[in-house]
Amino acid sequence: MSLTAHPAPVDWQKASYVAAQAADSRINVELETEGMVLNIGPQHPATHGTLRIVVRLDGEEVVWAEPVCGYMHRGYEKLTEVRTYPQVTTLINRIDWLGHFANEVPFILGAEQLMEVEAPPRAQWIRTIFFEMARIANITLFLGDMGVQLGALTPVFYAFRDREYVLNLMEAATGGRFHPNYDRIGGLKEDLPRGWVDECHGAMRKVRDFCDQLEDLLMGNEIFQTRTRGIGVIPASVGLDYGLSGANIRASGVDWDLRRDEESPLAWKEVDFKVWTHPDGDSFARYWVRLQEVREAASIVQQLLDGLPSGPIMSKVPKIIKVPAGEVWHHTENPLGEMGYYIVSQGGLGPFRCKIRSASFNNVSILPWLLKGVYVPDVITILASLYFILGDIDR
Amino acid sequence: MGLIDKGKIPKPLTWLLNTSRKYSLWVYQWGLACCAIEMGAAFGSPRYDVMRLGVIPFPASARQADLVVISGTVTDKMAPPIRRLWEQMPDPKYVISMGSCANCGGPYWDSYSVTKGVDQIIPVDVYVPGCPPRPEALLEGIVLLQERIQNEDMASRWRGEPMHVVA
Amino acid sequence: MSSPETPSSQEAPEEAAASEESAPEEAAAPEQADPARQALIDGLRSKLGDGFIASEIVGGDLWVRVDVSAWRTAVETAKTELGMDYFCFLSGIDWLPNPSLSGREVWDPNPNEASEPVAEGGQMQTGIAGGDTRFQVFARLYSTRAHVGITLKADLDDENPTVPSITSVYRGADWHEREAWEMYGFNFEGHPGLRHIYLPGEFEGHPLRKDFPMLAREVKPWPGLVDKEQIPGEDEPAEEEAASS
Repeated sequence: MSLTAHPAPVDWQKASYVAAQAADSRINVELETEGMVLNIGPQHPATHGTLRIVVRLDGEEVVWAEPVCGYMHRGYEKLTEVRTYPQVTTLINRIDWLGHFANEVPFILGAEQLMEVEAPPRAQWIRTIFFEMARIANITLFLGDMGVQLGALTPVFYAFRDREYVLNLMEAATGGRFHPNYDRIGGLKEDLPRGWVDECHGAMRKVRDFCDQLEDLLMGNEIFQTRTRGIGVIPASVGLDYGLSGANIRASGVDWDLRRDEESPLAWKEVDFKVWTHPDGDSFARYWVRLQEVREAASIVQQLLDGLPSGPIMSKVPKIIKVPAGEVWHHTENPLGEMGYYIVSQGGLGPFRCKIRSASFNNVSILPWLLKGVYVPDVITILASLYFILGDIDR
Repeated sequence: MGLIDKGKIPKPLTWLLNTSRKYSLWVYQWGLACCAIEMGAAFGSPRYDVMRLGVIPFPASARQADLVVISGTVTDKMAPPIRRLWEQMPDPKYVISMGSCANCGGPYWDSYSVTKGVDQIIPVDVYVPGCPPRPEALLEGIVLLQERIQNEDMASRWRGEPMHVVA
Repeated sequence: MSSPETPSSQEAPEEAAASEESAPEEAAAPEQADPARQALIDGLRSKLGDGFIASEIVGGDLWVRVDVSAWRTAVETAKTELGMDYFCFLSGIDWLPNPSLSGREVWDPNPNEASEPVAEGGQMQTGIAGGDTRFQVFARLYSTRAHVGITLKADLDDENPTVPSITSVYRGADWHEREAWEMYGFNFEGHPGLRHIYLPGEFEGHPLRKDFPMLAREVKPWPGLVDKEQIPGEDEPAEEEAASS
């Protein structure tokens, strides 16, 4: 089986099913069903968290779908206005709770840009390492979870097993398994502990093994392929229109990655990595792109570990952090897509206004368009393959 | 069993019933936020292996569950479904509130949309602190709950009185 | 790699400092040539005419303020003629000064010696590209090919903040406009269905407006302020410790 790019597949199964149904018009008349409203969620094993989706069905086909979000709305944007800058970091860790560290980075970089301070090189490198490790911790769970949504329970156990190696390293360096709160304006909280670099190399090897394992176990599986290929196809123009970002839009063939395309103080320019795209835009493509992303992330981490510069990890910043008046928009390529903070400062201890642009909000807003005309089991496939985190939608 | 009609159970029988109940807890996972992932790590991962405690983490519906773990931020919009879930569970039922948010609102204590503690909606048996708590902390919470079940006076529950724990 | 016109972060501070001193109109001509962004400004200016109010390039990023009547045209022009194919976000700002938010009253450990007192209803201090009214709607658009972004802003009326909807230009704006309607009470004309997106239907008020009361804080003071005793062995005053840690 080849995993490289291939032309868009024809959904023979669906086509033949539709043809058979159309041919037997008698059955159609007899079995004509009234529309049924199916309520998925807000608590459903197939949704990561508390997204509720109301779909109206005609038989097995979705004619109308409306996601209802807000069950996890915690009011971040208001809360940032009554927190100081260092306190905001604690809060925003929890937006995308799987990509913990990656949430802190754009905010800190934005605040640093306003304050005109820059973290020393070692801090930037360690930030990049943790950013990529957050990506691994985030996407490995997706890789396993996608199997669960399609009825394969095993991969998620593997995902939880191998994720722990990354989380342990996170904990060793930051003290937090989940929410590191490690980033500071002007640098980092602490330096890496002794022996961390070697262990990290080992963990990255395990992550790559995990990717190989999943490729054999899940992606080569015929059922998996049948259930994901050609399901939930997003053309690039529609995806951009809805503001899809990250792997979701790269799976539609848009070659755009902020790590490579935008100048950033982080150390991505120092390493070699490939931005993978896939021309299909279906659920399989999204899975495939993410799997490659984990591999690339592991390779980025290993390259950075090899070239880690020495030096201080904190530049000189005042003890009470006041950010000068101004506005800044800073965005990075987070595990779920483009995440950015629009910080408006008026010279106070906290932001005057902080607009949080989270990836999943836009990624999910395509659902009403995307779910039209699909079958009920495919709803779950599409939801899983779009990969959202509820905190990232609702903030 | 005249004793039960009178609302009394012999001590060995209480011990037997409580031991059986505490080692066959069906847990419904009400994963809401960050804690849901740690709960998933505790319940679904090979490292922590919750089944060795006699806990079965995958009931198909809340109607088959003895215990629900509320893990994560409870928002005002989410509160009615949680209340409804709790009402659907059959007695005897237990609630573990996992994480600061479910305990008291946590970092969102001043938010306009967050319920400050799930105990405003449903009674909670065990609070697990942390933001998020480690999987081990949740396991500890479950062990605490099992201790509590072991010491429960079943008869008082059957008489419809509020539960009280014997010694 | 990246587009050549994106300045590195070393150059950013100089620009930011320069633009703070100058008025928005003057800042339209930046000291450093930025041809790609200048072309965007020229494109919008020629298309909008009087609707184009101000523009600024700060820290390698572009802000354009347009009149609210030209809002839709500006977005359309950006998409069709200037190549902004990617819709990033849309939201709003409330410029009303509110001392109980944004750090001052809540955060200054010594409120008596507050260095920059801000009275409620005092002078509004607006941001980049200026602003005349209390409310502003702003949207961020981006070109995935040229890797250039633009922030569009428009002033809205204080009493009746109404703005044309851009859902027919970018379909992704649908949810963002619902969010802005819920959070600020902006009325998006032509939006297919403005209804609550995050909050339950019976929720009253617009939470992100600066005059929305944070009831939890009014009932109970911020617990962090209670904890003011000095940490043993520390020379620094406890107030600084509380604010900086």
